Amino acid sequence: MKLAKNKLQQAFDLMAKEANLLVPMKIEGVTKFAPWGAEGELAMDAVNTLLPPKDALFPQTEKMYKYKTRLTQVESLEEIKETDKQIIFGIRSCDMHSIDCMDEVFLTRGYVDSFYSRKKENLTTVAIGCTKVLPTCFCDSMGLNPVAAPTADVQLNDLGDYYAVKAQTEKGEALVNLLKPLLEEGDGEAAALECTLKVNMDGVQKKLMNVKMFESDIWQETAQKCIGCGTCTYVCPTCYCFDIEGKECGNEGYKFRCWDSCMFSEYTRMAGGHNPRPSKKERVRNRFLHKLAYFEDRYGKGSLCVGCGRCVADCPVDLDITMFIDKVGALKEAGSND
Amino acid sequence: MSDMQAKLRETAKKLLESGEVGYIIGWGKGRTNKTSPVFVKEPAKVDELVWNEYCLNTLAKYTMDNMYPEKKIGLCVRGCDSRAVNRLIQDNQLKRENVYLIGLPCEGKKDPVTGEMVKKCIECMHHNPLEADVMVGEPVQEKGYPDRFKDVEAMEALSADERYEFWAKQYDKCIRCYACRNVCPACNCRECYVDQYRVGWQGKQNNRAENQVYGLTRAYHIGDRCIECGECERVCPVGLPLMKLNRKLLKDANELFGEYEAGMNTEVKPPLGTYKLDDHEEYM
Repeated sequence: MKLAKNKLQQAFDLMAKEANLLVPMKIEGVTKFAPWGAEGELAMDAVNTLLPPKDALFPQTEKMYKYKTRLTQVESLEEIKETDKQIIFGIRSCDMHSIDCMDEVFLTRGYVDSFYSRKKENLTTVAIGCTKVLPTCFCDSMGLNPVAAPTADVQLNDLGDYYAVKAQTEKGEALVNLLKPLLEEGDGEAAALECTLKVNMDGVQKKLMNVKMFESDIWQETAQKCIGCGTCTYVCPTCYCFDIEGKECGNEGYKFRCWDSCMFSEYTRMAGGHNPRPSKKERVRNRFLHKLAYFEDRYGKGSLCVGCGRCVADCPVDLDITMFIDKVGALKEAGSND
Repeated sequence: MSDMQAKLRETAKKLLESGEVGYIIGWGKGRTNKTSPVFVKEPAKVDELVWNEYCLNTLAKYTMDNMYPEKKIGLCVRGCDSRAVNRLIQDNQLKRENVYLIGLPCEGKKDPVTGEMVKKCIECMHHNPLEADVMVGEPVQEKGYPDRFKDVEAMEALSADERYEFWAKQYDKCIRCYACRNVCPACNCRECYVDQYRVGWQGKQNNRAENQVYGLTRAYHIGDRCIECGECERVCPVGLPLMKLNRKLLKDANELFGEYEAGMNTEVKPPLGTYKLDDHEEYM
């Protein structure tokens, strides 16, 4: 099936009736996935939005429970359940794969995060193949394809005046059905696209998992210029660390969780004051090992870096993960310093 | 420009070879046009240092990673970096004898993506280093920045409601990455109030109220010590116009305590860091 581009807004209106529709928007200069109808401009040509769509499933701040107390007794305790249907329209292959990675974390290995899982159940994803790449894009080096996101519910491909529309799951079929009045017969193959930035992950994960790497000089050298801000973690589509805190007023209150960053000193500080990651060396090491080694080790699903290039583009000091991958790749053996 | 780069490398090599400095903090090449801070220890590696139109980062704050160096730290300084050095010395975070300043007159830097002069450099009032132990290159013409408070005046002309609406929209964007704080040479507290989680000064929720509390508290805390390097605004991933806030406080300080620029030397104390019996009371 295909959707003429001049019917895009009609399609949005149709989807927005069924669910909270998130589309790429530019709002106050920031590109992100925002509700259709929000004040701002549609940004379909933002190859990569500045902010990833992860907050649709994992909001930066999310209320979890609310409670009331009476003296020392709990009067009521209620889980806050968000059950709104959501559609992310225009998600790219890199961000789509980031959702696959977060699914592993929040839904497998014996624990299902109910807040995430409810949102995931109610989410439909419409991926769109890229027609151009940014100088910082390297998703194909991380095993992805910029024009195809196999796990998305619907795959769109830009073919000039129209999008080729392909349902890939049951949810996707339902959505295509909804859009049927606007769709035309037809099909088309997307032109292949290659990233200009290439990294070679061959052997990198294995080297990093080698115990000798942990005390390598490479960490100090790499981390020296880090200023310890959270930009990389907050623009990253797969950084999922959070903190839980409470807010109380009188005899009622709520618990919330909010994004946290392993780049912050407070993140690992223990109750007694000890900090097992006392400096930026340990923090950068943890972040890069998590992205490039630990995730594959635990889940066997490749790297937690999806190659979106946001951290490369936005790091204030150009601490570039792709240059780090090259550096590790070039090491003669794990733990050596050249 | 390339002459200066060659001279910089030559100077760096001499300093490292003679043992005058332990290492040199300068700019190195990134993957694209971007440059990135580098730390050069060996004379054989001075070619890692670059000096071109994309050397954007301020470097002085990296001295705080090594407050008790065995040898002097060689630090490349433009006008903004030298003011940052003064800031750190005045705030007791750096000893002048611990750094060897390599001065580089600077005509302004460009955005590596757009190729245009960056805002902070258009607004620069001191292109030449205010202090250096050795100078690389000839001083450049100072242009001043007559429009220093123009943006602030435009904000002041708005009604309170309009101003609130403007800042509310801005702080709705803030993702609280703290890049502005971490890059700022005036943000040099050993422990930021934000990180004192047990006290709970700063809530962790990302919402308009908490974001504004963060933005305003930081602005006030650096109010009279901001050296106007504009790095906070440059690094902000969501583009908050932070210099409007910083310059509002500087404008007030100028009006209440007389003409003042922070970090011009180490003698003149920030107006709020000292007091005189005839100080204005309005600011209390």
